[in-house]
Amino acid sequence: MNENVNENVNDCDVIVVGGGPAGSCAAIVAARAGLSVVLLERGPFPGSKNMYGGVVYPRILDELIPNWWEEAPIQRWVTRRSTMLLTDTQALTVDFRTEAWGKAPYNGATAYRPDFDHWLASHAEAAGAQLLTSTTVTGLLRDDKGVVVGVTTDRPDGDLRARVVIACDGVNSFLAKQAGLYTHTDVKHFTLGVKETLALPKEVIDERFGVRGREGVDIEIIGCTGGVNGGGFVYTNLDTVAVGVVLKIAKLAGQALRPEQIIATLKAHPAIAPLIEGGEVKEYSAHVIPEAGLAMMPKMISDGMLVAGDAAALCLAAGIWLEGVNFAMASGMYAGEAAVEAVRAGDVSAQGLRGYQRRLSDTFVLQDHRKLRRAPELVLSDRVQHLYPQMVANVVERMFRIDNPQPKPGLRRILKQERKRAGIRRRDLIRDGLTGFRSYG
Amino acid sequence: MSSANRTTEVVVCLKWVFQADEPSDARFAGMSPADHAALELALQWATHIGGQVTAITVGPAQADAVLREALACGATRAVRIDTANGVSSADVASAIASVARHAAWVWCGDYSIDNGSGSVPGYLAAALQASQALGVLGVTFESGSIVATRRVDGGRREVLDVQAPAVISVEGATARLRRASLTAMRAAASAPIEVVAPSIVMRTSEHIAHTYRPRARALASPTGAEALDRVRSLTAAGTSSAAHEVETLEPADAAARIVQTLREWGYL
Repeated sequence: MNENVNENVNDCDVIVVGGGPAGSCAAIVAARAGLSVVLLERGPFPGSKNMYGGVVYPRILDELIPNWWEEAPIQRWVTRRSTMLLTDTQALTVDFRTEAWGKAPYNGATAYRPDFDHWLASHAEAAGAQLLTSTTVTGLLRDDKGVVVGVTTDRPDGDLRARVVIACDGVNSFLAKQAGLYTHTDVKHFTLGVKETLALPKEVIDERFGVRGREGVDIEIIGCTGGVNGGGFVYTNLDTVAVGVVLKIAKLAGQALRPEQIIATLKAHPAIAPLIEGGEVKEYSAHVIPEAGLAMMPKMISDGMLVAGDAAALCLAAGIWLEGVNFAMASGMYAGEAAVEAVRAGDVSAQGLRGYQRRLSDTFVLQDHRKLRRAPELVLSDRVQHLYPQMVANVVERMFRIDNPQPKPGLRRILKQERKRAGIRRRDLIRDGLTGFRSYG
Repeated sequence: MSSANRTTEVVVCLKWVFQADEPSDARFAGMSPADHAALELALQWATHIGGQVTAITVGPAQADAVLREALACGATRAVRIDTANGVSSADVASAIASVARHAAWVWCGDYSIDNGSGSVPGYLAAALQASQALGVLGVTFESGSIVATRRVDGGRREVLDVQAPAVISVEGATARLRRASLTAMRAAASAPIEVVAPSIVMRTSEHIAHTYRPRARALASPTGAEALDRVRSLTAAGTSSAAHEVETLEPADAAARIVQTLREWGYL
């Protein structure tokens, strides 16, 4: 590795590593600008190795693929969005639906990633990028000054040289690590997402979830993750329902529980079981998620190299907002633009590539992460995970319980009693409330 | 293809097929394992005899994918005979034969994974008037000939000394296809593929697929004075049900005799 062969010969202008949403968007932008682009994918086709847990928000594609919604292989448009608080026996749901999200330009969609990513990569190919599949990048090629000048792959004669390498190689990015950009790799920053995809007839899904046609539902869940900090989700595809959990890895390792047991508990919950009853498991999948947001982000620029998507930990896990694919597409797009700028200016040093940082900072990509930098820790904290759901559910249960001939108790009294019963100190509650208000407000 | 290099002309026949459980999804389409093995052995054999490999497929434009894979692995020429999918085996073989008529060595997969019957290699050998080694489990390369071990009924093996011109069809486990180099893969993506129109009108197998039935046999009027005798002569009731004859003949005569008997029995 790292050997210098022939400094002046490039195989192409830009190498994009990884055919996920970030990589394909980077390749689309760079290829459309007339650069020669090679898009490397380790799977047999783009999307074959990819996984996500809910909703894709593709509006960022407006800039790349006008009227993308007419051709994108989506399953359902999410018109109903629920946030659910679960205890072992209770459920409190905030449920919202709007017709607006079921019409162009739409909002969020559920999709099968092998379809969605494959489709996005086909646009990169149409733009002129060369897609090479079943090819794993094994390392970086650097010149004697340490500048990244290409990649090594697992194929014979597999070195490939380019002016810019864009690493979109996903969470655990080996390239970002090898380049020395990724230092926050402590396990506490990561969660494990696991999900089952259950087949049910479309009419049954429509009926159980109260939707029609292409309308879909996304339910985000707090609680009921078997004592492991994390969250759950249920979302509808056309004729399958996905149900899964996101689990803090360190905590999961400490418990004698396997992730599929936690999914089984969630599936058996009285609020979830009727939705998925009779569903046949078609797929079980799992993936690591960079969960800590700003706190774990690597440096995204070095000489001859940019990092985008999950590889740059661009995944927003802020409880009520759970997004990743849109951040991947945006960062890929901006990385592509910065690479074009740098190649045209003839300066692919970190300085020449700084347009990437500017674009990230000026847009939602980093602004959302900055604003919500405290949210991931708050959402995954023990109180939010284990104490508040029980307290809130008990308060609501007592609010709506009619104990005649007893008169109704005052809400403040119930709140105080339940807070004490849950063992929550008043100042912690206020502090968490303020953190939440600062983050989300 | 001049006749000078005829003995070193190696052809591999590849079929672009869908996976059985993904019948129309091109993402999961490609060569079957047997075709992979055939390609690898064709490349090895060409190296052994100092020849070059031509990859041939019969199918629509999407089938170019298997030819590009072959080019990336080391084939030097790629020909696609342009047809829809689902052409009958006999017509596929005739079409390939018209392109590969000078080939000395033709390698095929044993059978494709989409309901393949393994009949194309047999038809192809007939059309090329080449010898055939079908359902081969393993090969040993000699100088100028191949020793092929073939699966036969009852778990037995047959060892054949294969001389050119020959059609060899191999099972998927005979060889593992090499991994294409990155440079070759990139070059193969834009390498030229010769697209030729089929030399004959191609029939899809749907047009000719039917259950085999022996043709009706013309019988003379039964003889016999009694009705019972006439019924007996019509149905052969009361005679031995196992009709067999044992004759010792030279191979050519034996084949002629078998055909004649099958005709008499109404199977041909």
